[in-house]
Amino acid sequence: MFGFLKPNYLSARLQRLKTQQLFSTLTPRELTIVDGLLHTRQFLAGEIVFDEGEEGQALYILLSGTVSIGRTRDSVVEVVAELTSGSFFGDLALLDNTPRSAQVRAKEACEMAVFFRADFIALMETDATIGYKISLQLARNLAQRFRALALGRPRIEPL
Amino acid sequence: MNDRHSGPIVWICIIGGTCLLLFLLRQVLWLVIPFLLGVILYYLLMPIMVRLLLAGISRNLAAMIVAGGFLLVLGLAGLFSAPWILSHVGSWQDLIGHYLDGGTSFVLNTALMLEQKFSVLHKAHLSEVVNMRMAGYTENFAQQHIAEVLVSIASWLPSLALAPFLAFFFLRDGRRFKKFLSHAVPNAFFERTLYLLHEVDQTARRYFQGLLKLTVIDTLLLGGGLWIIGLSSPLVLGLIAAVLAWVPFIGSVLGCVVVVLVASTDAPNDPLVAYSAIGVFVLARLLDDFIFMPLTLGRSLHMHPLITVLMIFIGGAIAGVAGLMLVLPLLGIAMAIGETLGHVITDPRLRARHRQAKALLAMQASADLIVK
Repeated sequence: MFGFLKPNYLSARLQRLKTQQLFSTLTPRELTIVDGLLHTRQFLAGEIVFDEGEEGQALYILLSGTVSIGRTRDSVVEVVAELTSGSFFGDLALLDNTPRSAQVRAKEACEMAVFFRADFIALMETDATIGYKISLQLARNLAQRFRALALGRPRIEPL
Repeated sequence: MNDRHSGPIVWICIIGGTCLLLFLLRQVLWLVIPFLLGVILYYLLMPIMVRLLLAGISRNLAAMIVAGGFLLVLGLAGLFSAPWILSHVGSWQDLIGHYLDGGTSFVLNTALMLEQKFSVLHKAHLSEVVNMRMAGYTENFAQQHIAEVLVSIASWLPSLALAPFLAFFFLRDGRRFKKFLSHAVPNAFFERTLYLLHEVDQTARRYFQGLLKLTVIDTLLLGGGLWIIGLSSPLVLGLIAAVLAWVPFIGSVLGCVVVVLVASTDAPNDPLVAYSAIGVFVLARLLDDFIFMPLTLGRSLHMHPLITVLMIFIGGAIAGVAGLMLVLPLLGIAMAIGETLGHVITDPRLRARHRQAKALLAMQASADLIVK
């Protein structure tokens, strides 16, 4: 109960979150707050995480496993990229209301942390520091993707 | 999901579900009121709780600090006000008696005036009948009703004491409960369910914020009107009537009685003041029930004003006073659940994805069990 009086240390779960690009700049206190907002989900190999054109409500952080990103061309879903543990996707859902631009499917059994948009927006409004740090990481990630796109070697477009 | 247009079947289910909930709540009324107060306290204390959480305090400790602080403030207020209340009990009795006498005189004067204007009423001895009835009622009031009122207060108090404890558990475990609920939802429906839970929470929050806004509007409107006709303590009267108006219709009648008692006592020889007070009250109530309530509560719940008014009548018919109070928040929550469930259930792609996930799980579970 009096954990806030103890020196900040990271539990195994928080250490794992700390290794995620999105949360790498957060302090232990900030990580604890964010962790309280995250939902953990398990997906089986072959299971669809979300579909192209679906309304996005959340960002997904890949804690373990691999997912494939597919886009429909001529009624066939073509895999355009793969993401491994430590990556995140569905970030545009946090920024606007646009539909998902690709389908995401678990390539192998995955564990994901899900950050619901309304929780993210509420966090931005109540704790500007955490909001700023996560937003900066989101912006950096977007910049990397657009730079790679401009250089003609896209890893993955924003979803 | 924001541009949802539900069909008539979904709407019938929403209204039917709300009526069923009202019927069921009528059976556990003793729990409904503390639950409602607990929810109001939860939304009132939530901003402080969030501040503490963001300061790095654990959820358990933050909930204890907030709920404990509230109980402490309540206890201190009771402790400091108890001597003053006890010393004024006698004068309050006199004051209530004074206002009751004023009200009785007003009714009798009105009956006499009507007798003078209408000979039929004079022949029927209206004032004498009214006088006898009122004398009988006021003389036996203490014997007949005080014990009844005290017993009902005593029976309600323990359940009312539940409200702060309920608020504490809502504060401490609300998010855990939300996670627990969402954990049970299959992956295919997960995002929609998160949205649904968020909508239910927002609907309840908007409703109680709307209720507070409505109370402020009512207080100012009634207070202003009563001040114009020259009544004493217009803002206090406005506030009492506005809080009573939390119970639609019946609360309004009680508020009107209070205003008329004060008006007829303040100006015993001028019935016009009491009539003006009734006029102000009726006008304020009409504006409230047909304009402000649909605009604040109805709009806060994104409901059509006509549905708001109709559902208030239906709520009263099904569950009485509790139904009048609860129908709008219940309808709002049923609407959020019904519209989202309607969307999820009727989405063939989501159902197909869920079937695929179940098939994958079955395959995985039986991978080494194939009989050759």
